[in-house]
Parts: sequence; structure tokens; C-alpha cells
Amino acid sequence: MERYARGDEAAFGALYDALAPRLLGFLRKATRDACAAEDLMQLTLLHMHRARGSFISGAPVSPWAFAIARRLMTDHARRRRVEQRLFSEARADDDRMAYEPTAATAAADDVLHARRLEVRLRQRIEALPELQRTAYWLLQQEGLSLKGAAEVLGTSVTAVKLRAHRAYVALRAVLREAGEPS
Amino acid sequence: MSAELRARVLAAATAEPSPTRAAVRRRNMLIGMVAAASGIGAFVIFAVLMSESHLLRLGGEVVPQQRLERPVWLVVATVGGALGVAATGVWLALGRGRSMLGRSPRWLLYGGVLIPVSLLVWKVSCSLAFGDAMVAWPDRPGERCLSLSLLVAVGPLLSFLAIRRHAPVQPALNGAAIGFAAGACAWVAADLWCPVAYVPHLLLGHVLPLFVLAGAGALLGRTLLSLRHR
Repeated sequence: MERYARGDEAAFGALYDALAPRLLGFLRKATRDACAAEDLMQLTLLHMHRARGSFISGAPVSPWAFAIARRLMTDHARRRRVEQRLFSEARADDDRMAYEPTAATAAADDVLHARRLEVRLRQRIEALPELQRTAYWLLQQEGLSLKGAAEVLGTSVTAVKLRAHRAYVALRAVLREAGEPS
Repeated sequence: MSAELRARVLAAATAEPSPTRAAVRRRNMLIGMVAAASGIGAFVIFAVLMSESHLLRLGGEVVPQQRLERPVWLVVATVGGALGVAATGVWLALGRGRSMLGRSPRWLLYGGVLIPVSLLVWKVSCSLAFGDAMVAWPDRPGERCLSLSLLVAVGPLLSFLAIRRHAPVQPALNGAAIGFAAGACAWVAADLWCPVAYVPHLLLGHVLPLFVLAGAGALLGRTLLSLRHR
């Protein structure tokens, strides 16, 4: 990013390679819509491209990128809600196909149990309040530091710890109910 | 992740030129000069044309037959202190520390409390030290200082918002901090022009504009600094 801010146009490719997979993963999980995730990832990188001149030397890039992605995602979700209200469109069920059974190679019961547990965990994560869910993703899935996640969420480190802790408690409860070690 | 997507993103970036760091620095310097010129211009127009042809008022009639003079050293002390607070406010609002996401909400909130309090405390304590500048002036409740402050601060407020450009996190809070910074700059002008240090006058004419500008900054920040409107 430093090279790109100074005017090295070729550095954008390297920036893309470093950030795009992580951003896309984050956005896919958050939106559950591959097309929307790709669009939002592209918008995020274009925002960074437009703001390259204001990049602070030595500033961490990931929290900035995730903050932009999160902001755009929130706006996208809001717009989609408005559109759905306006046009009464039924929400597409993207998950349906993801859980079609495949050819079982292990014991059928184990596979079924794992699938059910995965579905329940996923449902529980999705049912978490947005702030807890994002704190969990940023820390657990994206590997951001507490400070980085706090910057992305515009809050304090303590608040991020609390939100992530609540998310962990909720997920542990699901595991306990399923008889798994938490 | 597809190569087609990569090519699409890189092509979109190539098609849209963006300023480099050097270009942004030049642009910000230009906007800073516009901010200073607009603030000074508004101050001169207000002080010379709209009031009593005084850029710097050293005194006046408190009531008929009673005149009060403001020592030059009092002006130097109050304006000097206000300049220091204004510079700190601008640094706090426009500087982003070591993060691209700007200062933490806690820092911005501290600024929002400390800027008005320190300006008021500095003005009152200097005026107390320099004698009887704090008497009540019945003819000057503070509405002229209020309008002077707002007029002077408009240019810097818009310029500071243009310099900050975007705040992905807490745009309203960042806008409010910019409003306080612009208000602190306007306080310097009001301090130069106004000899009154009576506390109710200060609250209405000098402190209130800070909060009006912070509110305006918060609204504008939410609209202009937020990413969703781009």
C-alpha cells in the first residue's frame, strides 16, 4: 500500500493478491451471496484505490480494508431490505444447495451428526447480533488482533472482547446441547 | 477466486485515476489556504462592514457614562491561548494518528468536552487576572458574537470536511470533532473582536456556536464522510 500511495501503479496488483481472498471470504460469510460479495470486494478495493493518496505511512492496512468492507456491506444490506420492501421480492435461499448430501465415505451417522451440528452452529452465528457476529468473524476467521478489530468496529478493545466472548458463549452452548466438548 | 475477477478489479482501478500522496498533500494545502482566507475574509467583512469598523475592539461603553478598556496584553493572552486550543482541535479532528480509521471515539469525545471547556476557562481566568473585564454589558447579550462565530467558521468547517474526505468508522463523531475545531478557530476571531468577558455573554456568543457547529459537523459528517454516499 505504501508503494501504491507513492504512485507505483503496479503495486495495486500485489495489494489485490494480499487482500482480496480475505475480503471475499469475509464478505461471502457475511452476505451469503457470492455475487454481492464479489461486487462489495471490488467496491472496497476501489475505495482504497481512490483514497491511496491519504494513506498514512506505516498504518495497518487490514483493519482499514475490513472497515470499508463492513461499511459497504451494511449499506448494501440496508438497500436490499428497502428494495425487498418496495418490490416484495422473496428472499433467495442460498444455503439450500450447500447442504445437499454428497456421497458418504465415512459412517453415515457421523456425517449426518456433523452436518446437523454445522447447520446449528451456522444458524446460531447468523442469529447473533451483528456486532457480536462481526467481532467473532474478525477475530476468529480473519485473525485480526483485538486492536485491529476494535478499529474496524469503531469501538474499544474491551467492547470487542465482550462481544466476542458473548459469541463464544452462545456457540459453546450449541456444542454442549449437541453433546460435543466445548 | 477467478483471474477474471482480478482482471476486472484491476481494470476498474486503472480506468479511474486516483491522486497520489503528493497530489493529496498539494490539494490539502490549497484547501487549508482557502479555509484560512475564507475565515479571515468573513471576519474582516463582519467587523468592518457589519459592525462599528473595528477589527480589534479594546473597549467600549458598558452603560452610558461607564467605559471599560481591555488591555492589549489581555487580548494577546486570550487570543494566544485560543490559538493554541484551536491548533490542538484541528490536529485532533484532521489528524488520524497511526491508523487509517482515524482517532478512537474516546479521543474524539475527550476533544468535544475539552475544547469548549478549555477555551472558556482560559478566557475567564485571563480576564479575572487582568481586572474588571468581566462586568455585565446589558447591550451585548452575545447575539453578534454568535453570528460572527458562525460566519467565520463556515469556510473552515467545509474545508476541514473536504480535507478529511472520508471516515469509514464513526463519520458523525468525526464530523462533530471537525465542527468543534472550526468553532475553536472562530473563537479566535470572536476573541479579537469582542471585549466582553461576562460569563452569560460568553456562553451565548462564544460557547454556543461551538456546539451549533459540532451539530452541523455531525450532520454533514454523516452525509459527506460516510462511505455509503459515494
